[in-house]
Amino acid sequence: MKKRYWRCFICNDVHYGIAPPEICPTCQVLNAYVEITAEEARKFLGGGPNITFEVVDFEKAIERFAAGQEFMVNPEGEKVKTLLQGIFENERNHGFKYCPCRLRTKDPEEDLKLVCPCNFTIHETYRGVANGECWCGLFVRRR
Amino acid sequence: MAKLLMFHGRECPHCKKMMPVVEKLEQEAGIHFEKYEIWHDEKNADLMRSYKPIITPKCGGQLRVPTFLNAETNDVICGEVEFDKLKAWAEKK
Repeated sequence: MKKRYWRCFICNDVHYGIAPPEICPTCQVLNAYVEITAEEARKFLGGGPNITFEVVDFEKAIERFAAGQEFMVNPEGEKVKTLLQGIFENERNHGFKYCPCRLRTKDPEEDLKLVCPCNFTIHETYRGVANGECWCGLFVRRR
Repeated sequence: MAKLLMFHGRECPHCKKMMPVVEKLEQEAGIHFEKYEIWHDEKNADLMRSYKPIITPKCGGQLRVPTFLNAETNDVICGEVEFDKLKAWAEKK
């Protein structure tokens, strides 16, 4: 199954996935998505407002991401600070928020798996481990 | 003496934690590690990538740091390691 682009015909939200959301998360309209081309998607996304996203915004984003999950952001503040610095340096230098504790392979598809937050719940450092954590330690199993 | 390589990242907390362990091992046992920072030096990153077939099977299928590699035996150890374990690994023939 291949991922495709979809656009909400009410509010122009763009979704990339195998299927569109049943309810548009922005305007809440049911069955509002229509398939569009990659070029159209780029136009809709590229024409949007330039939203600044600083380290503090990412910190809030990962806190929201972890809320109610079986994992949480590591309570060790210094470790988190170092990691966030690396994540943002990597975005500046290499284009994405790559994990500072792994290395890009230069295979673009493979390297998307290294973008923070990654799918760490399937990694051997987390899955089935009592005190599991993602490889870099930004997320740890909730204690 | 075996050629031992350490791949590390400047903003990797595990690497930061391992650095004094490695330095202690170097001082106490006379073992030398060639250290390569991989996020701010593309040559070092390429060097680590060149060992991908050797490293990844032993590191969860990925290129992770810190990674310690014996370039002669292709023996690999990755992640945070206790001093004694790293010493035994480094002295292994």
